[in-house]
Amino acid sequence: MADDAEQQQSSNTVEEPLDLIRLSLDERIYVKMRNDRELRGRLHAYDQHLNMILGDVEETVTTVEIDEETYEEIYKSTKRNIPMLFVRGDGVVLVAPPLRVG
Amino acid sequence: MDVSHSIRERTIAENSLVILLQGLHGQVTTVDLRDESTARGRVINVDAFMNIRLEKVLYRDRRGHVSSMDDLFITGRNVRYVHIPDHMNIIETIETQLAKIHRVRNFGASGGRKEYSKKK
Repeated sequence: MADDAEQQQSSNTVEEPLDLIRLSLDERIYVKMRNDRELRGRLHAYDQHLNMILGDVEETVTTVEIDEETYEEIYKSTKRNIPMLFVRGDGVVLVAPPLRVG
Repeated sequence: MDVSHSIRERTIAENSLVILLQGLHGQVTTVDLRDESTARGRVINVDAFMNIRLEKVLYRDRRGHVSSMDDLFITGRNVRYVHIPDHMNIIETIETQLAKIHRVRNFGASGGRKEYSKKK
């Protein structure tokens, strides 16, 4: 947290939902954001607004296109990598450990 | 690289990650806006509400059209991401910024007006 230098959060008990995020510090996490975006990166810092600093981030933007003739939905995703990113908290929808398939 | 003159802003900044962005004064960064446009320029100032002033900006709008501006003010609400320069030490920057705020707070400590009263 931002005021770490002063007040060490030495309590290791999970008391509120934000404490669950504290458990993921320095781990890789999955962040779902508004506007069909997802981030996967290493959580370096966070605050009460869910502003976050993520390292080695991969951002995935998913778009849906409707085929004019068949009306089927085509899902496309664009990815990009950013070494260190500050994320404003109001865009964050959820935070979770990275999804494991299989 | 001055600390905000407002006590309220100092307290807000001290208790959130905005303080890291305030440590970016003078660095060239890219700000991704909410509307999918991006602005790359040198950070002049970031306030407690994440309002950002950039100078010598290359602004790419949603369509990809690039323009350049001498000065750009971005409202905090419109920020989606701020790209942090690779070489930056995050903990060190935050601690430096916190130290600046504490220095200002302790300036009038003995005999001066206190920002908050310690009741003992």
